[in-house]
Amino acid sequence: MSDKAAKRPGSAGSTAAPAEFSFDGTPYRAIEGQTIAAALIEHGIVAWRRTRVNDQPRGILCGIGVCFDCLITVNGEPNVRACMARVEPGDDVRSQEGTGYGD
Amino acid sequence: MATDVLVVGGGAAGIAAAVVAARSGCSVTLIDSSPTVGGQYYRGAEPPDSGSGLSYEALRRAFDELVDAARIDRRLHTYAYALERRDGGFLLRTRGDDRHRGDVGEVEASAVVIATGAFDRQLPFPGWTLPGVMSGGGAQALVKGSGVLPGQRIVVAGTGPFLLAVAHALISAGGNVAAVVEANDPLGLARHTRSVLPAAGKSADLARFLAALAKKRVPYLRRHRVRRATGNGRLESVTVSRVGDDWQAIPGTERLLECDALAIGYGFTAQTDLAGQVGARMRIGSDDGLAIEVDARQRTSVDGLLAAGETTGIGGVDLARMEGLIAGVAAVEHCGRRAALSERAIDRGMRDVVKLRGFADALHATFPVRDGWRDDVDDTTLVCRCEEVSAAKVRSAVNDLGARDARSVKLLTRAGMGWCQGRVCAPAVDGLCGFDSAASLIGGSYRPVAVPVPLGAIASDRMSP
Ligand SMILES: Cc1cc2nc3c(=O)[nH]c(=O)nc-3n(C[C@H](O)[C@H](O)[C@H](O)COP(=O)(O)OP(=O)(O)OC[C@H]3O[C@@H](n4cnc5c(N)ncnc54)[C@H](O)[C@@H]3O)c2cc1C
Ligand code: FES
Repeated sequence: MSDKAAKRPGSAGSTAAPAEFSFDGTPYRAIEGQTIAAALIEHGIVAWRRTRVNDQPRGILCGIGVCFDCLITVNGEPNVRACMARVEPGDDVRSQEGTGYGD
Repeated sequence: MATDVLVVGGGAAGIAAAVVAARSGCSVTLIDSSPTVGGQYYRGAEPPDSGSGLSYEALRRAFDELVDAARIDRRLHTYAYALERRDGGFLLRTRGDDRHRGDVGEVEASAVVIATGAFDRQLPFPGWTLPGVMSGGGAQALVKGSGVLPGQRIVVAGTGPFLLAVAHALISAGGNVAAVVEANDPLGLARHTRSVLPAAGKSADLARFLAALAKKRVPYLRRHRVRRATGNGRLESVTVSRVGDDWQAIPGTERLLECDALAIGYGFTAQTDLAGQVGARMRIGSDDGLAIEVDARQRTSVDGLLAAGETTGIGGVDLARMEGLIAGVAAVEHCGRRAALSERAIDRGMRDVVKLRGFADALHATFPVRDGWRDDVDDTTLVCRCEEVSAAKVRSAVNDLGARDARSVKLLTRAGMGWCQGRVCAPAVDGLCGFDSAASLIGGSYRPVAVPVPLGAIASDRMSP
């Protein structure tokens, strides 16, 4: 059990390029290689989906693509896992309603 | 085109298996859903020049060289969603990542190594659906993978030594950790000194993590459990209590910890889906979770199907790597070749597996899940987050409608029917309903697809010749 620091996009000395994207129409800046979830959380946004039955806000739970709680709409495509998809420059990211069965 | 050895998952286990197989002259395909290999532990980190022999660093460098030499076909951004038997071998169906869901494909192989790892095990509590509550591994992925802290003030909670690894990573990245809340008593580990001693390196890691906590004056609240999370639309605080042996809260010990992020986990659940699809026998691990049954050479009950790493029972990254090496050898032998690893190295590897497995068992005995968590799950607490099924509904399925296994509960309540296919709520449903039996776990674990696939993509794929 150790956790050798990975060379990560946001760490000091990183040469990773910035990537501009928008969330619900507002422009934000991320670092290339960051997941959409990480980029949003860095800007203090922790929820981007509302549930179908109880209309409750959701963000990430598992963080590795297993739970599907973090679904988000990217460039018009709904149900993208924000914890897995990396930000790409110019992404139009939007919060989504429902559990994403196309509703 | 068929490959000799197909490795699913590029963590420590998968990389080790792929390198052994390719070095032994087998054609190898390795697929991973992530943009990089390395798995949950190493992530995309570039391997340093140090490390020799069968260390991860050396294996990772060898892996990259074999990819460059076109001896390993590495397919990233690729999900394995269904495994079938085909002409004495296997057929694996794949799809692209979420931006390329429709990119479906197939890989045929003589031998398959399942090295798909694990994910954090969750137990429900009031408020656990509030944004800001996430798994320990999720927090780890944010900080190690994207260089982002999960919040301004973070509580780490659950059980197991992994909590210390998470807290250490957060602190190292400059995070403010309010407390580490451990439901068990880690001092119990001392009772297992015989199995702990051989894994002295691991114990040294733990000591280092504890020292880092002490230096930052982060309280390590042992025998404490998070009982609820509160906040208006997002996490604002958690309530913790001291707990007894069975994790029942001790009255009068409640305290409120303000925080905007909670990184929580109660051990891990192995990703066994693909092996289950071809009928590989499962077992219940010493952590009470499901695992793929393997023999000393990592062979499952299905001829030609090997499994390594967390999929065979949770045991950490070093065990994953050693199991991967042995699985690679077994895959090579299945293809009728001689492994490029000496008999001595293989023997030593198998001995290491036994030793590390013993250490993992000691950890699981020290950090079990106890029943007291159920006391806090009130009627309105959601058990299934996907389908928003409350504990009241789940309990009523058992008490009023006579459900006796997880499958009936699912049919009656929809718990486990959502996008995650019950991966997250399975331990909770079993625990709340008293279905901890192996039969319920094994019976409830069959999933025909490991990740959702667009129907159109499958149809068009199946129709093409
Ligand atoms: C989120 C998380 C973070 C962790 N962080 C640490 C840590 O910091 N320190 C520590 O000691 N332990 C950590 N662990 C424990 C970890 O499980 C082991 O230490 C180690 O990573 C196990 O290696 P592995 O090769 O068995 O699996 P993993 O490293 O998990 O590798 C499995 C690989 O399979 C891929 N995969 C899974 N399913 C599919 C599929 N259907 N199709 C294609 N690819 C697939 C995944 O993308 C992954 O790369 C973490 C676990 C999790 C879940
Ligand atoms: S947070 Fe679980 S799938 Fe994204």
